[in-house]
Amino acid sequence: MTGRPAISAFGDAAILIDLEPEEASAGSATRKPDARSAGGATLEAGGATLEAGGAALLATTAAAQALAARIRSATAAEPGFGAVVPAAASVLVHLDHARGSTTIDVAIDVVRRIVDGLEEAASGWRSGGSILDIPVRYGGADGPDLESVAALSGLSQSQVMELHSSAVYRVLFLGFAPGFGYLGPLPAALVLPRRASPRIHVPPGSVAIAGQNTAIYPVGSPGGWHLLGRTSVPMWDPQRSPPAVLEPGGLVRFVSERPP
Amino acid sequence: MSGVAAPRAGGAIEVLDAGLQTTVQDLGRRGYEHLGVPQSGAADPIALAVANLLVGNTVGAAALECTLLGARLRARRAVTVALAGADFGAVAQPGNRPLATLRVHRLNPGDTIEFTGTGSPAVGCRTYVSFGGGIDVERVLGSRSTSLVGAFGGFEGRALQPGDVLDLLVAAEPVGVDGRPGGATPTVSWPETLRLPADVDPLRVLPGTAAAGPDGAARLKAFVATAWFVTPEFDRRGLRLESKQPVRSRPGAERPSQGVAPGAIQLAPSGQPLVLMPDAGTTGGYPVIAVVASADLCLLGQLSAGSPVRFELIDLEAAQAALAARDRLLSEGAAAIGHAVGEPR
Repeated sequence: MTGRPAISAFGDAAILIDLEPEEASAGSATRKPDARSAGGATLEAGGATLEAGGAALLATTAAAQALAARIRSATAAEPGFGAVVPAAASVLVHLDHARGSTTIDVAIDVVRRIVDGLEEAASGWRSGGSILDIPVRYGGADGPDLESVAALSGLSQSQVMELHSSAVYRVLFLGFAPGFGYLGPLPAALVLPRRASPRIHVPPGSVAIAGQNTAIYPVGSPGGWHLLGRTSVPMWDPQRSPPAVLEPGGLVRFVSERPP
Repeated sequence: MSGVAAPRAGGAIEVLDAGLQTTVQDLGRRGYEHLGVPQSGAADPIALAVANLLVGNTVGAAALECTLLGARLRARRAVTVALAGADFGAVAQPGNRPLATLRVHRLNPGDTIEFTGTGSPAVGCRTYVSFGGGIDVERVLGSRSTSLVGAFGGFEGRALQPGDVLDLLVAAEPVGVDGRPGGATPTVSWPETLRLPADVDPLRVLPGTAAAGPDGAARLKAFVATAWFVTPEFDRRGLRLESKQPVRSRPGAERPSQGVAPGAIQLAPSGQPLVLMPDAGTTGGYPVIAVVASADLCLLGQLSAGSPVRFELIDLEAAQAALAARDRLLSEGAAAIGHAVGEPR
């Protein structure tokens, strides 16, 4: 965290806690240079983390998870509080009318007291833990972007596969679609902006990369990430508890089913 | 999943034609946004609540949401039904009996519901069909709403298809309906004095996180002053807007992914803002210029391609007053009809 979190109303039914607020005078001059506008490709957000480097991403996501856990336990008995959604460098606290009535002013005060009462922010993810191995069929029809990723990153397809499957990734947060985990950080050589044109349909099980992240699409959906391969491991089952296979903080490694 | 089970013998409502997109919805699935689960639920929650109250259900019972084209449905047993939201000109067969919105009707075994009209920017795009008792589908993660994105919940996690047969939960006393076979005289209707939100009203919005600072304030002012239209790109995930004067985000204004909620209005590099709907992803990175007040989410649910959209900037106090007024509207309506507003799930 670079400073005090900024707390603001997000409409009248949610509260956003920004762990990395832009300075009040934020203009393009004070912003960090973007390392990934390479190749003239258009940077698109809506999914990928755009600016934080790998280490910074690990720090801000860990801080967001720790703050979210604190808010969940502190508001469990408060009327009107709903889901608490940590993301890359923020926490969104939903209000839920069905769980009792509160007003956004009161809720913001509750959240502010929790944030102010926090000791120093979490310094990072707890080390250790078991690693979930995900078998992947890289390339071909399963990974239609393997070739273009290799070209964009100046590597061979085998090197891309090796790099992607050599790292152990942290589950940083869940979002976008049911059970979709943002894993990272990616090896620097694989960090690319999202595809210029998103696909209308990405098949479930697709293993993809964008920005600092890699992910497995749990359900079929539109998507702008680069598809490297596909897994048969189901990542989401609403009848199971918990329904998502991935849990923030968990560790994941991809294992090539067709060794390079 | 409930989906694999064959429909129970009998059933109550048979789908003859599913229209363009007909789904089972209640007031949505809350509390799982941190797992990436969209809220789902009726795009026009007021219309759902009103249709439910009329047939004696709690406001959040599961009902059918039809988009632009109504479904053709056959009652397999006697049922009570009420319609609310956009008026697609429903009739019951045989006899071509008009099924006016905002009142209770009775269907006899074998009767069908058909629609003589369609949705449009003038009448709205979603109509809600609520049956006494509510639709009996399994609750998944606390809700009977269909998650089209996750392919779960509702009826087999998908939009309805011809041949689907729906069961109903046991109805409370079919209050106020004359049970004579062959078409009863409806006696329960929504009080005319209680004005429901109308699509001619402007959408009330609160400033978004991208509206901070002098630069953001100017952008918000331009956004609110602009006359927008809904593009053909609209569904339960989002509505794309266009205008003659696009409002673009500041270059480089994309932020790391953060939690978002239905009603958030994202500025896209194209200059065509995206308004998030109930099935929207739970996180996003585009700058949020404004957020639609909760009380007016119901109006969003009636917008379709070509709908003009006007915005009105309000503050939190006004948004809370609007929400309280909406709750009052439902409880006064419920009291007039003679039911209590129950727990919304």
